Amino acid sequence: MKEIITLGLKLLLISLIAALALGYANDATKDKIFEQREMANKEARIAVMPDADEFEKIDLEQKGITDDIIQEGYTAIKSDSLIGYVFKVIPKGYGGAVEVIVGISNDGKLTGVRIGNMNETPGLGAKSKDIEFYGQYNGMNTTNEIGVSKSASSDTEIKAISGATITSKAVTKGVNHAIDAFKGLSK
Amino acid sequence: MSKTKLQIFTNGLYKENATFYQLLGMCPTLAVTTSAVNGLGMGLATTAVLVLANMAISLLRNFIPNKIRIPSFIVVIATFVTIIGMVMEGYLPALYSALGLFIPLIVVNCIILGRAEAFAYSNNVIDSFLDGLGMGLGFALSLTILGSVREILGAGSIFGFSLFGASFKPVLIMILPPGAFLALGILMAINNKYKSRKA
Repeated sequence: MKEIITLGLKLLLISLIAALALGYANDATKDKIFEQREMANKEARIAVMPDADEFEKIDLEQKGITDDIIQEGYTAIKSDSLIGYVFKVIPKGYGGAVEVIVGISNDGKLTGVRIGNMNETPGLGAKSKDIEFYGQYNGMNTTNEIGVSKSASSDTEIKAISGATITSKAVTKGVNHAIDAFKGLSK
Repeated sequence: MSKTKLQIFTNGLYKENATFYQLLGMCPTLAVTTSAVNGLGMGLATTAVLVLANMAISLLRNFIPNKIRIPSFIVVIATFVTIIGMVMEGYLPALYSALGLFIPLIVVNCIILGRAEAFAYSNNVIDSFLDGLGMGLGFALSLTILGSVREILGAGSIFGFSLFGASFKPVLIMILPPGAFLALGILMAINNKYKSRKA
């Protein structure tokens, strides 16, 4: 009996010290981590909407957008006037959720698409991070839904990454959801 | 027979290399070595944990009773992994997002628990430090080699620099999961051939 208590107390002491060390480390790094995440998000927003000076977060629920794929929405503002919207969408790709940031200008044109965190196959789906792929969305019109073609791109279709149709379709699906949200907001 | 300090260090670096000789820690080895830089990053993160955990456990070896040594080791190791994860996310965000899921998994990397059990629990702090450093750098080295081989064949580049120009058609399978097994098997065969010739 005495032994069990000793063992328990020693393990408790080790865990206690570990917990204190973790608490201290968390305290020391949490601001920096928050800053890094914010910076990465902000850079992505600027990349898809280069003209904007600042972004304001939209309360999606309040605006009646309940789409699960849409994670965040922002209004893009340039010298006090609204020039467009930026959405962060998370469609499901081949290896789980793919983070896609979509910028749409007030006149209904895509100003840019970037791929954030994702777990797609290196060499195939991960090529969605290359400008050859995401650059295709630039300047596309949002009047029609964007499609995916295996052979060539057109005004309403992007060319899929060869060997990664699922990823290409997922990103496009995300963009289309963002377009729907844009239409809902700009009505 | 007691080993010299240098022997303790080189033991893990080459002679009992964790990847090619002991075949420990295969999960991160196979999963993250899609490029040389990922292999190196994972190797160095593991080295840091290994060195810290080895030293802490060696210091505590007279305090930790035999019966609860495994849970104690896990608590110590998990603490270091979590701290290193936080520091990496704060200061090296690119590497953090590339390694992602595999950082918390360093906790269950059997090299670390293995060295705690086989070495640090019965040796002094300096020897444990050298053992951790040797084992860790050996692991980092083999992961970097494996990552380089896969990156050269599978993407035509090394550490992100393109090697062959646009006409090179990469062997995609090498950066897909099966390529990890192929590359590891071939590297181990080469290593064994060299070792058996020397013996």
